[in-house]
Amino acid sequence: MEKIKNNAFVKKIGFNRLVLTGVLILMYIAFAILEPTFLKYNRILSALNYAYFLGFLALGVTFVIATGGIDFSIGTVMFCSALIGGQLLTVKGWPMAVALIVSILVGTCFGILNGFMVAYMGMPSFITSMASMLLSKGLGSVFTGTQSVSWPQAAQGGWFRKLVKISVNGTQIPTGLICFIVVAVICAIILNKTKIGRYILCLGSNKEAVRLSGVDVKKWEFLAFVICGTLAGIAAIFFVGAYSTVQPGLGDTYNNDAIASCVMGGTSMSGGLASIGGTFIGVMIISLLQEGILAMGFQKDWQYVITGLIVIVAVYADVRSRQRKN
Amino acid sequence: MGEVILTMKEIDKSFPGVHALDHVNLEIRKGEVHALMGENGAGKSTLMKVLTGIYSKDSGTITYEGKEVEFSNPRDAQDAGIVIVHQELNMMNHLTVAQNIFIGREMMSGKLINDAKMNKEAKKLFDKLNIDIDPTEKMGNLTVGKQQMCEIAKAISHEAKVIIFDEPSAALTESEIEELFKIIRDLRDQGLGIVYISHRMDEIKVITDRVTVMRDGGYVGTLITKDSTKDDIIKMMVGRVIYEDPKTESTVPKDAPVVLKVEHLNAGKMVRDVSFELHKGEILGFSGLMGAGRTETARALFGADPKDGGDIYVNGKKVDIKNPMDAVKCGIGYLSEDRKRFGIVVQKSVAENSTMAALDDYMSGIFINKKKENEVAQKYVQQLKTKTPNVDQLVVNLSGGNQQKVVIAKWLVRNCDILIFDEPTRGIDVGAKSEIYHLMNELVAEGKSIIMISSEMTEVLRMSDRIVVMCEGRKTGEIDIAEATQENIMHAATLRD
Amino acid sequence: MAKNEKKGNAFSNNPLVKAVGSQQIVVLLAVVVLFLVFSIASKSFRQYTTILSLLDTVYYIAFMAIGVTFCLITGGVDLSIGTGMICYSLIGAYLVVHVGVPVWVGILVSILCGVIMGFFNGFLVAVLNLPPFIATLCSMMITRGMGSIFTGGLSVAWPSSGSAQGAYRNMFKLNTGSIILPIGFILVLVATIVMSTVLNKTRPGRYIIAIGSNKEALRLSGVNVVKWQWLAYVISGLFTGFASIAYAGVLASSVAPGAGAGLEMDAICAAIIGGTSMNGGSGTIIGTLLGVFVMALLKIGLPFVGFQANMQQIITGLVLILAVFIDVLKNKAR
Repeated sequence: MEKIKNNAFVKKIGFNRLVLTGVLILMYIAFAILEPTFLKYNRILSALNYAYFLGFLALGVTFVIATGGIDFSIGTVMFCSALIGGQLLTVKGWPMAVALIVSILVGTCFGILNGFMVAYMGMPSFITSMASMLLSKGLGSVFTGTQSVSWPQAAQGGWFRKLVKISVNGTQIPTGLICFIVVAVICAIILNKTKIGRYILCLGSNKEAVRLSGVDVKKWEFLAFVICGTLAGIAAIFFVGAYSTVQPGLGDTYNNDAIASCVMGGTSMSGGLASIGGTFIGVMIISLLQEGILAMGFQKDWQYVITGLIVIVAVYADVRSRQRKN
Repeated sequence: MGEVILTMKEIDKSFPGVHALDHVNLEIRKGEVHALMGENGAGKSTLMKVLTGIYSKDSGTITYEGKEVEFSNPRDAQDAGIVIVHQELNMMNHLTVAQNIFIGREMMSGKLINDAKMNKEAKKLFDKLNIDIDPTEKMGNLTVGKQQMCEIAKAISHEAKVIIFDEPSAALTESEIEELFKIIRDLRDQGLGIVYISHRMDEIKVITDRVTVMRDGGYVGTLITKDSTKDDIIKMMVGRVIYEDPKTESTVPKDAPVVLKVEHLNAGKMVRDVSFELHKGEILGFSGLMGAGRTETARALFGADPKDGGDIYVNGKKVDIKNPMDAVKCGIGYLSEDRKRFGIVVQKSVAENSTMAALDDYMSGIFINKKKENEVAQKYVQQLKTKTPNVDQLVVNLSGGNQQKVVIAKWLVRNCDILIFDEPTRGIDVGAKSEIYHLMNELVAEGKSIIMISSEMTEVLRMSDRIVVMCEGRKTGEIDIAEATQENIMHAATLRD
Repeated sequence: MAKNEKKGNAFSNNPLVKAVGSQQIVVLLAVVVLFLVFSIASKSFRQYTTILSLLDTVYYIAFMAIGVTFCLITGGVDLSIGTGMICYSLIGAYLVVHVGVPVWVGILVSILCGVIMGFFNGFLVAVLNLPPFIATLCSMMITRGMGSIFTGGLSVAWPSSGSAQGAYRNMFKLNTGSIILPIGFILVLVATIVMSTVLNKTRPGRYIIAIGSNKEALRLSGVNVVKWQWLAYVISGLFTGFASIAYAGVLASSVAPGAGAGLEMDAICAAIIGGTSMNGGSGTIIGTLLGVFVMALLKIGLPFVGFQANMQQIITGLVLILAVFIDVLKNKAR
């Protein structure tokens, strides 16, 4: 065991991430055996649809969790963005590009709100983000008058759907996957190669030491929430790109899926330790899981139960490894 | 003074690498107040921890009420009647005074807690001690002094026969100390044995009957208080042979410019009207006993804690330092006494920690220039002789001395000219210690200036060019190294107004 | 430190105010003012039926809020109460309607489910040391799924008041023929008094407060902190069980899976408005009950004065931010 862990290749990728990739592959094989349609291209595309928006949510919340905080508002903020953007597009007749930008900006605004309350006003992140969960839920349904909103299909001028998939000679190409990978790579670069990421990780690990090094910790903590909110806004575009319709009052279950993806991927709930690669694989596992549960004719609700149990195990492993280190 | 109630004989205790207690003796009689004295780290607390079962002893005997005993935890000791009143209070602020005193052994009537009875019992305790505290008041609303009285009442409610006061007066006001002494005298007259740990010489003279002095984990001797002078006690406390040669005279040129001037700095209760100057190339020692306000002064100066007032001049220019960011901009670096909490991010690498304060200089565009970062980290690893396999090593895996070097590297990378070393060698082994000393001398030779806060007398005498002595938040002395002796530093350090 | 002794003014030093707590008095005033404003602004609000529907909302929020107050006082939180309430109610209803067990068995099973979940949460937090908010977030997901799985994703209705098995509804609304009496309010009052006594007059309550105040000091006093922290979550689970009955007992239509998301915020919000600190150590059951009235008034009253029903979430969110901010300020003042 130790020998495997010390192998240079394993070390570079990370032992946990390799295990996680193994789990992903095994899950796929198991689903394929139980439900042969899983070998079909369409099944995979359908699973990927779920991965796009979830991926953006999870990438965003990875930054917040890295600071040692949490954001419970991402799922509902995503819906709020999609509702407001969609309403402006379909009812008010705003141009598509503007509607898309507004959707993203709505997410950014919620990120600014959360970041301000947590970093500058010193409020606990979990309860403040719960409050913004309520705010975003309410705002979305007030804005649309409690009506659901459908974004246009590709044929009706919904060119933004090309971000999710394009059809070439009848073959669907999942461009969304490319977008997701590109954004994930950018996030990984931000987290590991830039000042923002460096300070976010450091302050998540020991905020006081970073402050005493003369660093503006409030600013960087604030920015983590802004990144998270903005990515939730982008997630909205990919959600409607895949599923078209958004209903007001929903969205909060996606928080859990996103947080589960991060924690599974090795991002520590106590901050300071985060892995974009891990989050990526975590997103894939959750997406595959939900597709598998649907495909095998189980109720969708099994997904909640299983995700809940997975997070308990992942957080417990995190708590234990920290206890052992001390 | 009555018969002997407690004897600790030839107590010996070692921790890995440290001989914490070296055949220490202590004898407590009924109806006496017995002072336990010694410099920081002399082993007083360790001895008390051995007594109350927090540590187990390696050898020696403890005889209590005529029987040999060994307590396995503080609760056993408490049940037997030996109670510590801690310096840090263990109180639940949201509960009332009476609820705190009887926590874990509430008085019940049936299934319900009988708060009325507990209040009455608490009142009785307070009457016995002649203190006026409302048992129904929330603990959090009391002053620290009153909270301490409650701790004492709690101790007595355990039917204590020996009460240990661990620096009880550190956070008290003058009148609260008066009240405390009255209680201690009452308890003494009721025949209890009292151990009084304190640094304050004048208190010792006022309240205690005998004094036992410890030094470097060893037993020095026991005196009758009224037959001895303050000087006698100080001599016993500091009378160690100093192996390292103390500095005999300042190496700073007479005309060296003032790089930092602090005037009338005030911050809370622990920094009161502190003024001093730091010259270029100087090591300014800050000496004093625990709780003298040295760290607080450094933190206020650095902007880590809010200031109430005072002016700071860097290189002759008045600066407004509101937070650590401002301080770092002025070229001040602070090396905390608690490295793990305030100095380094242990889960990050040597390189990442090294550039923490100066990351702006190691960017190419928006990206961190990893190569440049590693180079500078490597440079300081070599210069400071930090023992680490490479600069990607996580700091958590380094020893205390090497972690300290990483913190030093952090400020050198930032090119800070004024460095505040707060207890630079605490928890560092002897070899690494002399390396740190060597390094500090090199730094001042290069023209940096250092404020060194230290509780170790030898360190102060060996390193400093000038020594500022503090006591209870005030500057009580400023001594040139040429005139400095252990005795005159200790005198200033115990000089209360 | 001398500042502390002089702290307070004529208002907060008044013995009556001291006994009840100044924040509670303010909240009580807020309840009265809200009620008056709604009554004056809307004629239809001043109806007996409105009062009844207000109280219907009070019952289930109150039970959840009383339970979660214990978790908050330990410095933790229980996020599983909203989805849990629906889950237990669904399970009980399913057993009664589709399996055919007597109603009282269904009620007991619902409550028992709550207790079991409380045990589970307590185990995660007190024994495994998981952060309370993430541990109970998982239980939130689990209960959300379980209830729906149990009924096959369908809504289930508890027996209606007219039916043969509908007598249990008299626990909350006694229909005397001429008038409907909201006797559920008596149950809530009894629960408030009993749990207030438990919190202030019994060992478990004392230790739960002490855990929130200074867990380490309590441990050093030789008290089994794991046990009492665990108990706080069991209490929360038990009261969520009660809430599941109150919810079903007053709801005319069926219980829908997925209806519980967000309801936990009503309860947590009520507790924080009532003066329970997010940092643990302080809180009162009376205050929580008053907070419940604020929440119920906002929920029921706002539509009467021209707000859309969905504005309620926004207002809850804003009230929550305000309550947490006041809590942060109070802690800073210390």
